Amino acid sequence: MSAGTPPLSGVPPKPQVKALNCPQCGAAIILRSFGQAETVVCESCRSILDAKDPKLAILQQFEKLTSDVHPLIPLGTRGKLRGTDYEVIGFQRRHATVEGISYPWHEYVLFNPYKGFRYLSEYNGHWNDISVCKQLPTDDHGSANYLGETYRHFQTSDADTDFVLGEFSWQVRVGERAVVTDYVHPPRVLSCELLDKEVTWSAGEYMYGREIWDAFKLPGGPPEAQGVYENQPSPVKTNVTAIWVVFAAFAIVLLGLMMSFDMLAKKEQVFQQSFSWHRDDRGEPSFVTNGFDLGGRTSTVQIRTNAPVDNHWIYLNYALINDDTGQAWDFGREVSYYHGYDSDGSWSDGGLNDTVVIPSVPSGHYFLRIEPEMDPTLSSIPYTVSVTRDVPVFGIYGIAFAVLLLPPLLISWRAYTFERSRWSESDHPPMQLSSGSSEDDD
Amino acid sequence: MFQRLYLLFGLLTLGTAAFGQYRGWSLDSINQLKNVPKSVRDNPGSYRSVYSGYHHYTGGK
Repeated sequence: MSAGTPPLSGVPPKPQVKALNCPQCGAAIILRSFGQAETVVCESCRSILDAKDPKLAILQQFEKLTSDVHPLIPLGTRGKLRGTDYEVIGFQRRHATVEGISYPWHEYVLFNPYKGFRYLSEYNGHWNDISVCKQLPTDDHGSANYLGETYRHFQTSDADTDFVLGEFSWQVRVGERAVVTDYVHPPRVLSCELLDKEVTWSAGEYMYGREIWDAFKLPGGPPEAQGVYENQPSPVKTNVTAIWVVFAAFAIVLLGLMMSFDMLAKKEQVFQQSFSWHRDDRGEPSFVTNGFDLGGRTSTVQIRTNAPVDNHWIYLNYALINDDTGQAWDFGREVSYYHGYDSDGSWSDGGLNDTVVIPSVPSGHYFLRIEPEMDPTLSSIPYTVSVTRDVPVFGIYGIAFAVLLLPPLLISWRAYTFERSRWSESDHPPMQLSSGSSEDDD
Repeated sequence: MFQRLYLLFGLLTLGTAAFGQYRGWSLDSINQLKNVPKSVRDNPGSYRSVYSGYHHYTGGK
């Protein structure tokens, strides 16, 4: 896979192709790789010829049963890939059969007289820029290490070659079967290909179709990528762990805020009075309480109602009225407590107390208007009303916590579903991993 | 990028929570009225709560 012997300094000669004729059909054979290729395929009769032989000896012939196979990048197309000019000189289609389903993909052989060979693979719109490994990776159980990076085993499958075209840097044959093992470290992939007793390691990096189209200035647009590919970069670029760390910091600050406000809140009881409601009382049921002062800054006012109800209810129409401005907060509160025993056991519903917090009440002189209603089965009931100024509302922290939690949850879910899709196509699908099955260890 | 946005979002959320707590926000829904007549003090029946005649849930299974 070396770059050959073209001059490295001075003005490089303009690459020229070499034309020969196919010994089988006589069609013109174009050699673009300056004698670097091992085999070349006649585009007319599909004979695989020995590119090293001046007479182009026929190595194999295969039927033209794949006339529908057309390279997305035509042979002879030149482009600049990652800063280097390359020409597409070969194309092959391969497939792996898993559980009776054939998964075909395409591989392109690229050549630069100074850089040598490079390869592109395409599967369902997913592309990889591939080159042969410069060092031998170390294969560990379930992982491989290459250039300091650990790659996780993704899949091992048989890969069959079923169509070839152009020139190849190896002795290509239609029908040959290799055992391919892929290890991934997105966006990179490491492939170990075992053919007969020869092992070839190659490293690839995921590319988007648009990059390929731009590199080779191809007309139209690339085929849309289907599904999630083994080394496709996750759309979640963020470090999910870091987001959770930030969330944890926010949660601590929120807890600190809650404790601080709770300590600083005055929780000052400004009014408390007990009343009694009698059904026999005639006349207007509503009444007003004595006045009370709410001091300090604009803050909450808590009104608590206590009534000794027992399988009854009492309902109080309240209005907290500012004596000076006429501003009022109108609300109704119910105190009810029911309990009993049935076939499921004992049950209870409600309670003897009700609490409501009125928001943002300015300071001033206030009184309460109370209009009680009660269970028709009750003849009388006592109840107590208390008013407390500046109480903390813990629900605000609950909402803030939920709001802070939402982004990390969403991003984690997105990352999880993407990885789940990726690994569902592997030899280690998530379901098997989570169920602890050992059947995937072959 | 997302991390910075989340940092900003979180600070905004914490600031809103602190501001809400300071200003006395509440989660309870309270009907606010203006200009309730002063006569209510002497004649409570002259004012009728919007919640009067509320259908009471009697609880239980």
